[in-house]
Amino acid sequence: MYVYLYDNFLRHKKFAPLIKAMEIRLTDYGIAGKILHLSNYIDTKPIIDEEIRRGAKTFVIVGDDKSFGHVLSRGATCECTFGFLPVGPDNTIADILGIPVGIEAVDVLAKRRKERLDIGWMNSRYFVSQLHVLPSKVEVTYDERFRVTSNGKMEVVVCNLQPFYWKKDKKDKEQHMVHPQDGKLEAFLRPLTKQGWWGYKYEEPSIFPFEEMEITGKEPFAVEADGKISKEVKVKIKLARNKIEMIVGRNRKF
Amino acid sequence: MIFQKSSSRNIVENTEELPMNNSVVQHIDEVDTVVGPSVNVEGDFASEGNIIVKGTVSGSVHTSKHLLVEPGAKIMANVKAGSAQIAGEVKGNVKVKESVELTSTARVVGDIETKTLVMEAGALLYGKVVMPGLETNEGRTGRSSRSVGRRSEEPVNGEGLI
Repeated sequence: MYVYLYDNFLRHKKFAPLIKAMEIRLTDYGIAGKILHLSNYIDTKPIIDEEIRRGAKTFVIVGDDKSFGHVLSRGATCECTFGFLPVGPDNTIADILGIPVGIEAVDVLAKRRKERLDIGWMNSRYFVSQLHVLPSKVEVTYDERFRVTSNGKMEVVVCNLQPFYWKKDKKDKEQHMVHPQDGKLEAFLRPLTKQGWWGYKYEEPSIFPFEEMEITGKEPFAVEADGKISKEVKVKIKLARNKIEMIVGRNRKF
Repeated sequence: MIFQKSSSRNIVENTEELPMNNSVVQHIDEVDTVVGPSVNVEGDFASEGNIIVKGTVSGSVHTSKHLLVEPGAKIMANVKAGSAQIAGEVKGNVKVKESVELTSTARVVGDIETKTLVMEAGALLYGKVVMPGLETNEGRTGRSSRSVGRRSEEPVNGEGLI
């Protein structure tokens, strides 16, 4: 049995024709199911657990990158298969999973090509795509073996599914593809140094693949994981291998 | 404080093009770990993939693949690697399985153990070089020589003498 988890933004009438077309195609394939609308602050784990108890086996996230991260940050521990129907402009994860945005995503879902993906674990929750520590005075310890420091503030980005682009324009774009099944998370560190009287400048990034790392700061620092921001003094990040089973497309990037 | 505000408006992206030779570009394609120029690494620094060092590392460095020490980088540690190209400063013993290349800006204080050693003119080495393949009177394998502040002009390989 399929359960469809619709993000709240899909209530907007501009998405109505696409949603309707998707639902018709899902019915054609015989994989239509229960539809649940999620609000922004809802914890998805109890909802998924309840539906599993009722016999659901596949949960399909309908929305964008934020919806994807929101559902899986808590729901990753559930014993079920996840699918994704990307809708809307903010969809970068779908491309990595090989799922086209729009109605063609239904065809990928119907084919049920399943892969197990690695995800990251941060303090008490999971993150799927990216974790971002805004420039702060932090110290990073990798696998309890070596310590990385800088003289000033440092920005830390941990990537799992998504590559991170350090440079803004096309010429300076450095693309680091991070494979969700490579058995490592990848951390990018950029020290921020003072430039002149007013500005600051990002130094060249450092890149460390890791399985476990700890970010500590003397003062609380902001951490953004899959679009959710919190203030922390210590963040322990681990790799959860093959944690989620996901329906992916043939054109996936891993 | 207003002067310490790190808003995105005040931050300048570092877009300077860095001069790189072909060998560096070749290694960057398969890079796994990069120690940037403004970070310090302390402890047992180990990686399963290639390592590029542009900053400072102290403790020990270990990789089974390629190690690249860029000009301006400092390693104060014993190094073990599959192969290495050194253009920066290394204080510690270097044990490399395949080949070590010291470029003109390299400064190495410590012993080097490797199959092949290539030294560019201007490279500085203070330490013993050990290479497998030659039997000595002392009954141990390897040819060793001490090179003190020597500036070498010709490449040296495992078969030759320094």
